[in-house]
Amino acid sequence: MSASRELPAASMPRLPRGQLAALLTLFTGAICLLLQDYAPWMVRFPEAWTLPATELVGAGLDAVLSAIKPVMRAWSWLLSFPMSWANAVLVGSPWPLIIGAFTAAGWYIGGFRMASLTFLGFGFVLLSGYWNESMNTLSLVSVSVPLAVLAGGSLGILANEVPRIRAALLATLDAMQTIPTFAYLTPLLLLFGFGPVVGLVASAIYAAPPMARNVILGLERVDPEVKEASIMSGASRWQQLFLVEIPAAGQQIMVGVNQCLMASLSMVIIAAVIGGFNDIGWEVLLTMRKAQFGQAFLAGLVIVIFAIVIDRLSGSLALERKRHDRRVTWGLLLAGAVGAVLLALTGADAAPEGVFSAAAVAVDDSLGAFTAAHGATLDGIKTSAMFYGLLPLRIGLDQAVLPFTWGFQWTSAMSLWLFAVAILAGLGLAATGRHMAGAGLVIAVGVVETGIAELPWPFVIVGTMALAWVAQGTRLAVLSAALLGLVLISGLWDRALLSLYLSGAAVVACVVVGGAIGLLSAVSGIAWMIIRPICDMLQTIPLFVFLIPTLMFFQIGEFSAFLAICAYAVVPMIRYTRHGLVSTPPEMLEAATSSGATPWQTMTDVRMPYAAPTILLGLNQTILYAFAMLVIAALIGTTGLGQSIYLALGQADVGLGVSAGAAMAILAFVADRLAQGFAEERRKALGL
Amino acid sequence: METCRGRGDTLISMAEQPAISVAGLWQVFGSDAASAFRRAQNDGGSARDIAGRLENQGYISAVRDACFEVAEGELFVIMGLSGSGKSTLLRGISRLVEPTAGHVSIEGEDVLAASKARMTELRRSRIGMVFQHFGLFPHMSVIDNVAFPLKVGGMGRRERHDKVQDIIEMVGLKGREGAYPRELSGGQRQRVGIARSLAGDCSVWFLDEPFSALDPLIRRQLQDEFLDIRARLNTTIVFITHDIAEALKLADRIAIMRDGEIVQIGTPADIVLHPVDDYVREFARDVVRGRHAKVGSIMRADDDRAANGTPGLRPDMTLEDALATCMAHYEPVAVYDDGGNLLGTVDPQDIASALKADR
Repeated sequence: MSASRELPAASMPRLPRGQLAALLTLFTGAICLLLQDYAPWMVRFPEAWTLPATELVGAGLDAVLSAIKPVMRAWSWLLSFPMSWANAVLVGSPWPLIIGAFTAAGWYIGGFRMASLTFLGFGFVLLSGYWNESMNTLSLVSVSVPLAVLAGGSLGILANEVPRIRAALLATLDAMQTIPTFAYLTPLLLLFGFGPVVGLVASAIYAAPPMARNVILGLERVDPEVKEASIMSGASRWQQLFLVEIPAAGQQIMVGVNQCLMASLSMVIIAAVIGGFNDIGWEVLLTMRKAQFGQAFLAGLVIVIFAIVIDRLSGSLALERKRHDRRVTWGLLLAGAVGAVLLALTGADAAPEGVFSAAAVAVDDSLGAFTAAHGATLDGIKTSAMFYGLLPLRIGLDQAVLPFTWGFQWTSAMSLWLFAVAILAGLGLAATGRHMAGAGLVIAVGVVETGIAELPWPFVIVGTMALAWVAQGTRLAVLSAALLGLVLISGLWDRALLSLYLSGAAVVACVVVGGAIGLLSAVSGIAWMIIRPICDMLQTIPLFVFLIPTLMFFQIGEFSAFLAICAYAVVPMIRYTRHGLVSTPPEMLEAATSSGATPWQTMTDVRMPYAAPTILLGLNQTILYAFAMLVIAALIGTTGLGQSIYLALGQADVGLGVSAGAAMAILAFVADRLAQGFAEERRKALGL
Repeated sequence: METCRGRGDTLISMAEQPAISVAGLWQVFGSDAASAFRRAQNDGGSARDIAGRLENQGYISAVRDACFEVAEGELFVIMGLSGSGKSTLLRGISRLVEPTAGHVSIEGEDVLAASKARMTELRRSRIGMVFQHFGLFPHMSVIDNVAFPLKVGGMGRRERHDKVQDIIEMVGLKGREGAYPRELSGGQRQRVGIARSLAGDCSVWFLDEPFSALDPLIRRQLQDEFLDIRARLNTTIVFITHDIAEALKLADRIAIMRDGEIVQIGTPADIVLHPVDDYVREFARDVVRGRHAKVGSIMRADDDRAANGTPGLRPDMTLEDALATCMAHYEPVAVYDDGGNLLGTVDPQDIASALKADR
């Protein structure tokens, strides 16, 4: 090559990374569209090319599982002892004693407020008529949490003591939390057999990572001088750890215990799908299946109240150091015991029948009446959301627009026109300097025309690689492509796209709605006063409960699942948006105001750019929440990976369950890394 | 030691064996710093050459060839700007970080060769340390914090609580034994830190910028109390500070550090009157410019020249104030005590030249 030919190439302006990536994606999409008739393999990955991954994984796992089965069965036998003890104590004790004990604990930890919250909460549980079921659930939690605390705590300490394994351990914890909850129920089912032990072990596995994470974080944050002071006082490593570092990290570790409790409760309730244990989660499932929504709602409410009481109780254990008068504690305990004795004397030792069951029936009836009266409206909402929103996103305008739905038939001429208009508008945007917006518009139109579930696989993979390249660099791009390629050849690709479509739609809805609510909360203190407790509650409620109200109004189907996902996943978006917007440094705002910016200009030009990294982190959380809920929502009717995982559980098909779970985890992992990459890039750009 | 010659490093009392002796101490940071240092050292040259070669390879030499000896009962201050390596040096001596090379002995014992268990033993019985941000254990009360070295040494609860009563009283915390660190002010917290470092009856006392995090008024008060404690206990002390005034006030001898190197070791008077280079001179500059030296130091007591009695100086006036008072005079000015008795005279020229000499 001669020097004269190199010169012009060197002087050519180089495209920024983002534009190059967008063009590459566009180009791939265009090729796929043009060639779809000649090379159908470019759109749909041929089945002949896939590996029987689910069978392979199933066979492999079966071998491993049956090898370790005897050990696990022994474990199961061992675990059944503490479980039956906890059960005997909680279910066997007369209810006044239990309420007295918990109220006393509430007083000791948080004074009058906590005591009354606990008393009212447990009182409601008693009156709901679900006392025994709730105590069954509580006994599962009370065994699984110590297990999780012990396991998570040991892992955390191990990571602290052996820095070399730390990175690997953190990655494992990430994976444990990304793999959908239902997915590891299936192998556990095979290992432990039907029964409550599966729920117990699953919830311990699910609850251990937050504990480990908080222990690691807490130990890491202990003031270095405190560590040095303990060394210089002549403490051995063991003494340093147990006399100084762990107590000094106590607050963070208690936050871990709080998260551990909540995770365990959530999982114990989800594990009810396996059945075999008469707990409160099972009650919800049962009544939901019988379409007794009033009762399901009541049982769901019991779970919510339970969750709130446990959360606030353990939360104030972590946050407040002040402990309250012991005399009152003993008094409350004594009152409980006296109540128990009195109850025994009157001979009515069982928990009372629910006084709310009549109310539940009434709710059920009025709900029936409501849905009957407004059925047309509800159906209208549902069908229009499906026809004009979800369906085109899923299968594309070219298939969703039918005389039956939109009133006319989509033709290929319309597609051509749509593309022509989009390309013109895109060029127009590019001409005015907004290159990325132009390319984005054309890509978006292409996606809507084709439908997410029908997207050609090269387009998805190249697009993801391009995003990953922009977000972080070559390494993430290669990693994402490799992981998606794995899903592609495993034969789960179509289902993965369906999952991507539903979670994608929910995430988009959450970004719009959550962003708007976050913005509102940032500008109006009153709005935040109202929204904040709602957010708190939505984050405390176990996933499962979200299904109840959507099911009540919109029956089984994709739209209900969509709503449930949105309700759960919108919270981080709201929180992070608000937090990002209100944490703009005051002097920056003063500088903007003194430069003559209007409040709105300050918002768009100063606060929003400053908040961008935080909002992107919120988006990241929203995506992870959406994926987590997607699997749970399979209970009320979604297609895709979630459904496969749920079906696999029913059929005890380990291969399908684990591979679909892994595929789901891959999607979540890639989305997580992309969002984090963008957030990191923004933060760096702002010099934060 | 070859490397330690020619620095004017003399002990106050040469007769005794030094309580602490540090020779050729290096602290190099980077992956596998030890072998990188050995390679750089084999190539020869001065400490600066070695550090330069290490820096080119991406290593940071936080302490370079530190050499000094501290006599028993001496108060040795290490002073330097932040990042000069003074805290790292102290951490090397106390083995909170492992030095890359060199020799440290405390009361005749080779500390760098001591086993882990022996080190723990030494820290329990002989070495006490005070930290800049106190390093108090947040979950322990004052008395438990102070008694911690005794607790880890295996002493029973009642015994150790009895034993630390005197120390708590000495640092002025009597009556606050049950308080938690979060309930104390900064000055009180550091009193706890001091008491804890003394609980093990240490004979060697390390203080790492103990008063830097405190308000000026509290700082001065604690400095005075520290001198009282020191007079009572007669421990060997290594004291780190970045404040020249503090160093001059407290020290028997001062070591001045820059970029990991000790550039001068000397008594406070040495440092002020004979700075070895501009860096040290720059430090001394702010301090002595008439603000710390008193009229008494240049007064001539037996001067029979006719003194100008009108402005009337006092011996405890600073040179600055004195200069302002007798600016217009060319002849000696009289100095009186509080009772109005003539003590001597001061020549305004002497004031001017004393101020000039500092520059």
